[in-house]
Amino acid sequence: MASQYIALPKGVSEKNFNAAIRDFRKVLGDTSVLTSAEQLAPYIKTMMPVPDGDHTPSAALLATTVEQIQKIVAICNQYKVPVWMISTGKNLGYGSAAPAERGQVVLDLKRMNRILEVDKDLAFALVEPGATYQQLYDYIKEHKLGLWLSMPAPSAIAGPVGNTLDRGVGYTPYGEHFLFACGMEVVLANGEVLRTGMGSMPNSNTWQVFKWGYGPYLDGIFTQSNYGIVTKFGFWLMPEPPAFKPFVIQYQHEEDIVEIVETIRPLRISGVIPNAVVIAHALYEAPVKAKRSDYVSGPGSIPDEAVYRIMKDHKLGIWNVYAALYGTQEQIDVNWKIVTQAFGESGKAKILTEQEAADDPAFAYRAKLMRGEMTLTEFSLYNWRGGGGSMWFAPVSQARGSETLKQMALTKQIFAKYGLDYSGEFIVGMRDMHHIVDVLYDKTDPEQTKAAYQCFDELLTEFSARGYGTYRVNTAFMDKVAETYGPVQRKVHKTLKKALDPNGIIAPGKSGIR
Amino acid sequence: MKKAKLVNCIFGCLVAIIVTISSAWSAQDEKNSPGFAWKDGAEIYTKICAYCHEAHVGPQIRNRELPAAYIRAIVRNGNRAMPAFRPSEIDDESLIKLADFISNKEAQH
Ligand SMILES: Cc1cc2nc3c(=O)[nH]c(=O)nc-3n(C[C@H](O)[C@H](O)[C@H](O)COP(=O)(O)OP(=O)(O)OC[C@H]3O[C@@H](n4cnc5c(N)ncnc54)[C@H](O)[C@@H]3O)c2cc1C
Repeated sequence: MASQYIALPKGVSEKNFNAAIRDFRKVLGDTSVLTSAEQLAPYIKTMMPVPDGDHTPSAALLATTVEQIQKIVAICNQYKVPVWMISTGKNLGYGSAAPAERGQVVLDLKRMNRILEVDKDLAFALVEPGATYQQLYDYIKEHKLGLWLSMPAPSAIAGPVGNTLDRGVGYTPYGEHFLFACGMEVVLANGEVLRTGMGSMPNSNTWQVFKWGYGPYLDGIFTQSNYGIVTKFGFWLMPEPPAFKPFVIQYQHEEDIVEIVETIRPLRISGVIPNAVVIAHALYEAPVKAKRSDYVSGPGSIPDEAVYRIMKDHKLGIWNVYAALYGTQEQIDVNWKIVTQAFGESGKAKILTEQEAADDPAFAYRAKLMRGEMTLTEFSLYNWRGGGGSMWFAPVSQARGSETLKQMALTKQIFAKYGLDYSGEFIVGMRDMHHIVDVLYDKTDPEQTKAAYQCFDELLTEFSARGYGTYRVNTAFMDKVAETYGPVQRKVHKTLKKALDPNGIIAPGKSGIR
Repeated sequence: MKKAKLVNCIFGCLVAIIVTISSAWSAQDEKNSPGFAWKDGAEIYTKICAYCHEAHVGPQIRNRELPAAYIRAIVRNGNRAMPAFRPSEIDDESLIKLADFISNKEAQH
């Protein structure tokens, strides 16, 4: 007899799964337990170059309260059914809303979306997992709170909980999001509810203002992990500065990345440039303005000659450095002088501000991201190849020019081998850079899909062989990346997993942990 | 093997007890206001679709008399680069309103 489910969790019989579903329905009601192919369709689409069947869920649960989640984990323990959590579920290029392994039940927390508190004076927020950046943005505007968000490029449709739990980044001075997280509520696999940091103490009012609490700091183990289900999340917001000055600095040669990084590093470390600067390659910016088919046809990577034509036609540098100054006008004036002097020294940089570039669509959306305004313009990337294939390759680099040049050259060389284009950028952290490369391919083309998979695999192999680690990866490659960090870390991760979730019901496979 | 089973069983029983004890604490918080709900099709269009479909990222979709059923199917399944949207993000009722908003001529609004 054919199964009534589109997939089953590994090692769980249909009979037991039936019983689990029946119990889930008792807790959530029939309409919040999804099992049909039609209902589960939006949980299946990913951008990864692997068959959708590898990541097809067996069911999705739409929980709305902590109590429901406690009951869900009890049922999961009873029947050994694994759940995969999503908050806003827009982890596009990292696995989207689909689970790491076929048959896992998606625990979709999107409907648990209340903004519990936004404190104007102390500039913090406490939210539930399903709250989107758009919701927060509207709330802050409506209540005239004068606070700014820092968000990833999918802003409006993503949210702070999922993004920060996956250690995502944004583009304001608060861009390294987990640095600004403060207090979580977590449902553990045994059903207990832990509030981290100061939240553990009854009647404390410092949960969202002091990160560390007492004893070992626990918040970190609930990020990029499967040790608990985060149900509330606190984080800091940036007070709206009196003045804001976004700018872009363009360079014409790929080797100039060395000069760019050497110039930025001291400005970033000293705080003259306070935000997460982006050094975007022409091919990362081009899709906002240009069509690939106007410059190149047939298979293979785009030749450098075509890239130079795009730059000329669309007023792009080969590198485009987006940054901003924040503060009072006086502070900005002083810092602007320092910035222009530093970048002006070699005579290679072309510095543009809103005055010259406000109408440029690439500048406009970058400026929005640097001030926490909603935009989805970066999705233009997907028009470059078409066909909806994308994986983020995200190795970490030192903020040192020679290193960034090495990483770029190696990436380009591997991309060329597989006929893909280097759409890369460096996001400048405090001392590191996230080298972010979109592996864009046409998922409707089996040859390109195969090439993309092999390309990504080789990137991971070659980078780790040189000691370059990946900060985050899609669900198809989590085990491979976990392996690159060595056996001791893997063992510690596993030990924690066994202690906190002995039945392995919470997101097995996340970050290679089972 | 036996030991593992026993551990699992103890763990299972613990879960049941803990859920009963600690739900009282968490239940207090659940009484607050209900979560977010969409007002109408126009709001969803502005706060999701328009960021691409009015920004030269995705194709123009309004005033093209696209069938409502087609719009609903694309929203739920996604289409190539366009992500899929789940019923937890845009509930079925709101999706009907959204599809109507997109497929109806602008003048009717
Ligand atoms: C064009 C484009 C640009 C992008 N730019 C950026 C960018 O600038 N910066 C960036 O960081 N990302 C970027 N992304 C990647 C991704 O879309 C964002 O990181 C997005 O914020 C993640 O989705 P989400 O916020 O909906 O999180 P979710 O998908 O809800 O969650 C992400 C992951 O966190 C874990 N998780 C979620 N909820 C819980 C929970 N309650 N408890 C425990 N674990 C949980 C799960 O493992 C889940 O897979 C980009 C994607 C695209 C398509």
